Amino acid sequence: MPNTNNNINSDNVAHEFKGLISKLREGVHPKDSQELMDRMVPLALQYIHKYPDIFDSSPPLPEIICLDKIMTILESNPMWGDEDKPGSVFHEHYVVASCEIEDHRTRDLLSNLILFSLENDSVYGKEDNEQTGPRPRCKTDITTRSSCSSILHSNSIGLNGNKNGVSVKPCSYDSTQNSVGLGSVPLPNYIMEITKQNSINTEHNVVQNAIYSFLGVQGKYLKKDVITGRFKLDPLTLKSISSVQAGMLLRLSELGYYHDRVSKFSNTMTGYNAMGSMGQAFMAKLKLELSEFHGQVALLQDQVNMFRQAQMRDYVDRDQSWLDRQPEQLTLFKLLCWYMEPLRRMQWLTKIADACQLKKGGDLASVLYTFLNNGDPMVNQLANDLLTVSCAPLVRMISKWMLEGGIEDTHGEFFIESLDEVGADRLWHDKFRLRHSMLPKFVTLELADKILKTGKSINFLREICKVEEAVKDRKELKYVIDNHVSHIFSYVPDTTWHAAIETCYSQTSKHVLDIMVGPHKLLDHLQGMRRYLLLGQGDFVSIFIENMKDELEKIGTDIYSHDLSAMLDAALRCTNAQYDDPDILNHLDVVVKTPYPGDCGWDVISLQYTVRGPLATMLEPAMPTYKALFKPLWRIKHMEFVLSTKIWKLQMGNAKALRSLDDEISKATYRLHLFTSEIMHFVHQMQYYVLFEVIECNWVELQKRMQQAKALDDILDAHSKFLHAISIGCFVNTSTNMESHLEVVYENIISLENWQANFYKDCFAELEAREQMQIAIAESEGSGHFGLTTEQKMERDQERKIFEQKILTSCRTLEGFAGSYGKAVGGFLLALNSSDDPNLQLFGTRLDFNEYYKKRDTNLSKPLTFEHWRMSNVYGNAKSHMGGRYSMHPQTTSQFGHQGHTSLSWD
Amino acid sequence: MPSEIITLQLGQCGNQIGFEFWKRLCLEHGISPSGVLEEFATDGMDRKDVFFYQADDDHYIPRAVLLDLEPRVINTIMTSAYSKLYNPENVYLSKHGGGAGNNWASGYSQGDKLQEEIFDIIDREADGSDSLEGFVLCHSIAGGTGSGMGSFLMERLADRYPKKLIQTYSVFPNQDEISDVVVQPYNSMLTLRRLTTAADSVVVLDNTALNRIACDRLHIQNPTFTQINTLVSTIMSVSTTTLRYPSYMNNNLIGLTAPLIPTPQLHFLMTGYTPLTSDANLSNHHNPLSSHQAVNVRKTTVLDVMRRLLQPKNMMVSTGPDKTNHHCYISILNIIQGEVDPTQVHKSLQRIRERKLAQFIPWGPTSIQVALSRSSPYVQSSHRVSGLMLANHTSICSLFERTLNQYDKLRKRGAFLDQFRREDIFKDDLTELDESREIVDGLVQEYEAATRMDYLQFSTNRRGAKVDGLGDTKSEDTKSLHSADL
Repeated sequence: MPNTNNNINSDNVAHEFKGLISKLREGVHPKDSQELMDRMVPLALQYIHKYPDIFDSSPPLPEIICLDKIMTILESNPMWGDEDKPGSVFHEHYVVASCEIEDHRTRDLLSNLILFSLENDSVYGKEDNEQTGPRPRCKTDITTRSSCSSILHSNSIGLNGNKNGVSVKPCSYDSTQNSVGLGSVPLPNYIMEITKQNSINTEHNVVQNAIYSFLGVQGKYLKKDVITGRFKLDPLTLKSISSVQAGMLLRLSELGYYHDRVSKFSNTMTGYNAMGSMGQAFMAKLKLELSEFHGQVALLQDQVNMFRQAQMRDYVDRDQSWLDRQPEQLTLFKLLCWYMEPLRRMQWLTKIADACQLKKGGDLASVLYTFLNNGDPMVNQLANDLLTVSCAPLVRMISKWMLEGGIEDTHGEFFIESLDEVGADRLWHDKFRLRHSMLPKFVTLELADKILKTGKSINFLREICKVEEAVKDRKELKYVIDNHVSHIFSYVPDTTWHAAIETCYSQTSKHVLDIMVGPHKLLDHLQGMRRYLLLGQGDFVSIFIENMKDELEKIGTDIYSHDLSAMLDAALRCTNAQYDDPDILNHLDVVVKTPYPGDCGWDVISLQYTVRGPLATMLEPAMPTYKALFKPLWRIKHMEFVLSTKIWKLQMGNAKALRSLDDEISKATYRLHLFTSEIMHFVHQMQYYVLFEVIECNWVELQKRMQQAKALDDILDAHSKFLHAISIGCFVNTSTNMESHLEVVYENIISLENWQANFYKDCFAELEAREQMQIAIAESEGSGHFGLTTEQKMERDQERKIFEQKILTSCRTLEGFAGSYGKAVGGFLLALNSSDDPNLQLFGTRLDFNEYYKKRDTNLSKPLTFEHWRMSNVYGNAKSHMGGRYSMHPQTTSQFGHQGHTSLSWD
Repeated sequence: MPSEIITLQLGQCGNQIGFEFWKRLCLEHGISPSGVLEEFATDGMDRKDVFFYQADDDHYIPRAVLLDLEPRVINTIMTSAYSKLYNPENVYLSKHGGGAGNNWASGYSQGDKLQEEIFDIIDREADGSDSLEGFVLCHSIAGGTGSGMGSFLMERLADRYPKKLIQTYSVFPNQDEISDVVVQPYNSMLTLRRLTTAADSVVVLDNTALNRIACDRLHIQNPTFTQINTLVSTIMSVSTTTLRYPSYMNNNLIGLTAPLIPTPQLHFLMTGYTPLTSDANLSNHHNPLSSHQAVNVRKTTVLDVMRRLLQPKNMMVSTGPDKTNHHCYISILNIIQGEVDPTQVHKSLQRIRERKLAQFIPWGPTSIQVALSRSSPYVQSSHRVSGLMLANHTSICSLFERTLNQYDKLRKRGAFLDQFRREDIFKDDLTELDESREIVDGLVQEYEAATRMDYLQFSTNRRGAKVDGLGDTKSEDTKSLHSADL
């Protein structure tokens, strides 16, 4: 104890002071009174100076009251006559003596000391110091009687926040306290009272410390660990409290730790907070929680203060009963009992806030959502509240987006983002997209998609279609959406909020759909592209080709598109296309690509469908696919045209004309006819497959889905699926080698056309030569000469021999074509059969409906075992030696077969 | 307008089936008997311009040329409700009106004599077309005008328009009843030769089968010409529906016929149609086929239609029993009309293939082609699905064999040849008849050969046969042909 060193000195002062007090009590002559006061006041001051905390545990009374009481005591002295008025004299002199003291507190203490000394006939501090015996300490059952006061003294908390080193002693239990507590001793035992008061003071200090710690304030006993932030007991003051108290304090201080954490999370300065506007909302809610907690702590503090005040009042009023009112005092036990509930709340808040650190937007909401549906109703409610609050900005963003198409998202929290660099022309497909990282867990992808589409539609309507119509019932919808925040994370999406979203979505979608299908004729345009770009309008295509057939055969560089547009118009005019909407037809155009060397008209001329305005926004991404699709379709039409209009028709006509040459050429012509019919079968089946089974069947499907479509995206989705299916069906960009096989087939057709032209040229030359000779014979016979000279006959025979030789050669060339064609078809069929697409397999069987190829090619008749599949893959993938051998095998046999037969027949 | 087709109707039979055909077309396109488009048909998506052209007053006129050597049938037509439909300039009646007397030679010679007048009409029609696709000839092969003049016209057309298709709808005589035309085998033989050499595609309408179908399947005891012709007109109209209601494929005559005909000679096509009861609806419009129609108990799916089309009893050609069972399909085109689920089509094809319902040639790839066609919205059908089959089947040669047999019987006895000798073409000798027999026999041989794997070598085989036996006649043949050409 620091004051024990000054005991002797203070003894003297106390002694002298005591003497003066007794003088004062006994009565001082007014003349001596001034002198007495002048001596007494410095002494008292000295004393106070020595023991500044003398009245700490019981607050000093104000000076005026003290003086008043002192005067009353002095006046009550019977020794004095009424006229002397010793009180007034004391007051007069006291004022004079203490006039130099300016500090209020010192004055209060001074007066209190005098009063106390007068009353007790002893010096307070000295007695205090001498008391060393065990002190009573309250050990009462804590009754949870609530003694809350509604009055809250804001300054009461800080009142005793100073270091108290004087009056507190180590405490222990004392059984004598019981007798005191019973109050059975009629005479006041001041020493007992004071010790008791001190024990209460200690308890009070500990409680106060605990309360401080609730708010994260360090106290005498509890210090914060710098690193962990947890409270720990101060080793310096540890001895002054019992281990039980210490334990309880530590436990209580946990609340403070969590309080600290929460307040850290709720403060943007710390850097541990959640971010963005949703984070702000979240933090606001945390702060609200904190201040509610603060309110509770304040109530506790108030309770402490009330108790102290009551204590003081009673003390001043000399009402000794306050000592017995232990249960009303806040104790650590009571606090322990109280702190469970707030602790749990603070713990959960900490846990939640910890998880939300540095999170924002939908991510934040997702995290919060995971805390939902806790079995503990308190936690459940807490998480629900937090989530509701945090989602409010999100819901506002949603309603703004869905009703006005705007995004106000400075923190990048919304699960829909708008790409600024994407222009209006790609508004529908690319401008807006989901930001998946910001998509709250409780918003399904489907719902998010709907929300995205709604806003997108509004933007589309406004920016592309220039339609400025607000959503119907916009205000009501906005009200519903904005005011049912908690519905957004409802387990079952059937709340009014979801209903409003759904309404919004369906209304907007329908609006867009109506506009696109109505004034912008989306369906008609799709139909138009199917008809003209995908060659669904067969009569138009054939007439178009017929019209341009000369152009198509020209060299690419000699073709000018302005000639072609006239032909296109003519084709449109005279086919069924004329009944089509002119709006649609105006979009159709013929274009000439830049020709590469060797390209002919067929390669460079193509049809194009130009889309403009809102349609372009919708369909632009599909246009390259159409372009890619047009190519194989156009090619197959080319082949059909060559085959039927050129090759077959010529054959039919020339067969009549060349009947007389049958003997020489029939072998060649039959081979030619049969080869042609084989190719014709292939091309027609191919065309049928592509145009009907692929395009038409998928088109029917598309139409079905277009009719069911509720939103524009349904149509666009269906459309892109349609295109995808067709791309596969048309062998566009397939990884297999089917395309290359097809190309070989097509090349053979072109070669055949050229071969046939040469062949017929030779035939007709020979025919003409023979006819000339017949005419010559007839003429010479008519003029009476011999019909034919030997030279002429020889020459003719020579020519005939040459002709026969020529036919033989061309026959061989033809066999060559047939060989390479057969190889390509065989490869194509094998690729089809080993395809894993059932449609392609079926197409394979259709191409070989009467199992003609299967009988010739052993590979094809093998069941689709793994072995076979693997081998066919080897065959398909690489033109390696192995593969070559495999592919060659069937073909060579068949060729040998032909040659074997032919040689026989020629023999 | 594009891909136009000019129809030539020759003789009594040709004009009768032609008349029914046009009636049917008018009905399907919503054109009134006077050629005016009906109110309800103004926004049609059909192509009328293949078979019709529009006059200055916008009324529709068939691209039809009506030719006959006697006035009876044409007069009936010209006094009917449809009299105003035809262009009167396209109707040619022989001045003397005596007819050909069921004599092929007479018809042929009269054709020769009248060719300038006739080709005036045909050339005019051809010039009036943007891109003429071909000619369709309606005639019978047994009579005089249709067979004789038809043969002559075919030859001339092939000459004059070598790049145009010549398709014929040829009515073959009823073998079940004794014909009043005694020289019918001669007529048939001579016409068959031209059908083989000059035509590009022949749709065989066999009266034997048609009558049998009318009896057995439509339950008509004694079918009249009109009733039979209604069947014929159905076949004709349906076989042209892909031209008139264009969709993605088979929108021109060549696209329709080219895949069916592998070699120039094998161009005789059979037809089949189902369900036949649907004719009742059509005929109810004009002349009821029968008042006691069988109750429609059929369920028609695509598969049903395609399967039934493969049954011989639905074929409109009586091919006789195929004892050796070696005949096979060279090619098939099914034109399916009605409510068809596209995905059903290839399922049906697959089924047919699995069950091997049809036998195909062994020497080349072939299959059943399917053309889905819209049907006229103005003609109601009680059937959901109906189908027409155009098939190239080798068993059609039995029809020619029968003709050969009958011809041989007559020829052996040298019967009824006098009336032929009267005409120029037979003035010197009867080689024309023998040549015709030779060619028709060659045709039969070729069809038989087509059933075998070695058809690829057929040409050389035939050559060998010819070299063996008929070398001399052949060179004569060539010569005469050439002189005719020149």
